[in-house]
Amino acid sequence: MASLARRRATDYAVKAISVGFAALSLVLLAWILWTLVARGLPALGPHVFTQITAPPGAGGGLLNAIVGSLIQIIVALIIGTPIGLMCGTFLAENGRNTQIGNAVRFVNDVLLSAPSILIGLFVYQLLVVPFGGFSGWAGAIALAIIIIPVVVRTTEDMLNLVPIGLREAAFALGAPQWKVVTFITWRAARAGIVTGILLAIARAAGETAPLLFTSLGNNGWSLSLDAPMASLPIAIYQYAASPFEDWVALAWAGALIITVGVLTLNILSRLVLAKMK
Amino acid sequence: MNFAPETSIDIASAVNRATAPSAESKLKVEKLNFYYGDNHALKNINFDIPEKRVTAMIGPSGCGKSTLLRIFNRMYQLYPGQRAEGKILFDGADLLSKDLDSTVVRSRIGMVFQKPTPFPMSIYDNIAFGVKLHERLSKAQMDERVEWCLRKAAIWEETKDRLHTSALGMSGGQQQRLCIARTIAVRPEVILLDEPTSALDPISTSKIEDLIDELKQEFTIVIVTHNMQQAARCADITSFFYLGELIEVAASNEIFTNPREARTRDYITGRFG
Repeated sequence: MASLARRRATDYAVKAISVGFAALSLVLLAWILWTLVARGLPALGPHVFTQITAPPGAGGGLLNAIVGSLIQIIVALIIGTPIGLMCGTFLAENGRNTQIGNAVRFVNDVLLSAPSILIGLFVYQLLVVPFGGFSGWAGAIALAIIIIPVVVRTTEDMLNLVPIGLREAAFALGAPQWKVVTFITWRAARAGIVTGILLAIARAAGETAPLLFTSLGNNGWSLSLDAPMASLPIAIYQYAASPFEDWVALAWAGALIITVGVLTLNILSRLVLAKMK
Repeated sequence: MNFAPETSIDIASAVNRATAPSAESKLKVEKLNFYYGDNHALKNINFDIPEKRVTAMIGPSGCGKSTLLRIFNRMYQLYPGQRAEGKILFDGADLLSKDLDSTVVRSRIGMVFQKPTPFPMSIYDNIAFGVKLHERLSKAQMDERVEWCLRKAAIWEETKDRLHTSALGMSGGQQQRLCIARTIAVRPEVILLDEPTSALDPISTSKIEDLIDELKQEFTIVIVTHNMQQAARCADITSFFYLGELIEVAASNEIFTNPREARTRDYITGRFG
């Protein structure tokens, strides 16, 4: 009986500790969100979405940064999604237990956890130095490199969840492999693949480091991918470190916009997943 | 039934076809050996499958019957490390030869699996997918084909009002009959059934057994089953496999009442397996 009492006590203690730490992490998250809302919401106003960068006190906004971020993320998606999707498909459909598959998978895992500033420096050396300047292209490509490993990983994982029987059934009808993949396996895994892409967007949207050495930031209005381009993370980085009250307020507003955007994407991806299941 | 004499003549010729070489065999297995890596899974199999008959393969798990079924439509070729040696003549051409394209082989030799595997799309598209792989049909022709194969699979009445809803919403038994319809739609000559009713309830099972009886008018059917009553009910010819060897082939009523081999008798009387 004594041992039963001790087991119960251990059970209670372990449960209490895990609940405690779970609560702690939730409190931290809630605290961050609260700070963001408390400081960001008052700073939000129409000017944030209609004005571009202006000198302190002149009533500037974040329009150029928001549009710059959108453009770079969209271009990064156009570049990164097909590469990631194809690579993930290769790993799941042809690369199981093969040497090349294992090598690609390993490299992808390394890329997935590579510090993002390294990716910024890599693109700096690859594109900015040889072409003589910072540009939106360089920023978009750096973001694409952030996106690719995320998409590769989720695509492979989701395709691996598709039962072998479904593939065999399609092969048994006389389908060539490319039709089995495009019409059956992709379709069966589409909810998960879409979720992976949305998560990759969320990841890329908040990255500052890869943009610092690539698209640099731009205080003026520019839609050209050949010129330096503004972005929200960089605007936050610049404004938050400034001594001007209205600039700091804009940084909070920008942080709130990114967070709400990423949160929306996350919730959206969960809804998509739940609905398609 | 009451056609005893006629049936017995039919069975006798079926036995001939099953045991001796004959012009009417649809698939003719000669000296077939099969390996999963180093594992010698089928040993020197010689086996004739007669045309427009139901041939059952029975035997304990791991005896090689499903393996043989998966060689007939070259499913094994999807997996490196699996290899077959020997010959399987299909209307005179060697199925194992590289000259035959796998997609063509599979369109002529269809397969239905143990678990129903509806594709995540509508009932109509489940059928159209396979047909479109091999034929270009107009919308009207496709509609006609869909109805034809659903009728053949005895599922038309249940599906005609919901052709464009997801196939995943059907019951297990309906899904399996859809899979049979999907296979028939490609108009194969041979249909391979790999334990097609083991995941189904008794009512769905009896519907599929009735269906098998219907289908043998037009198709050559090979069925793997763990259910000996099913083999006795559906199959004209039954073959018994054990440890990778083909032990005995005979007309079903003969093998279940008077097997020649002691191992067959032990298996069908439930002494092992």
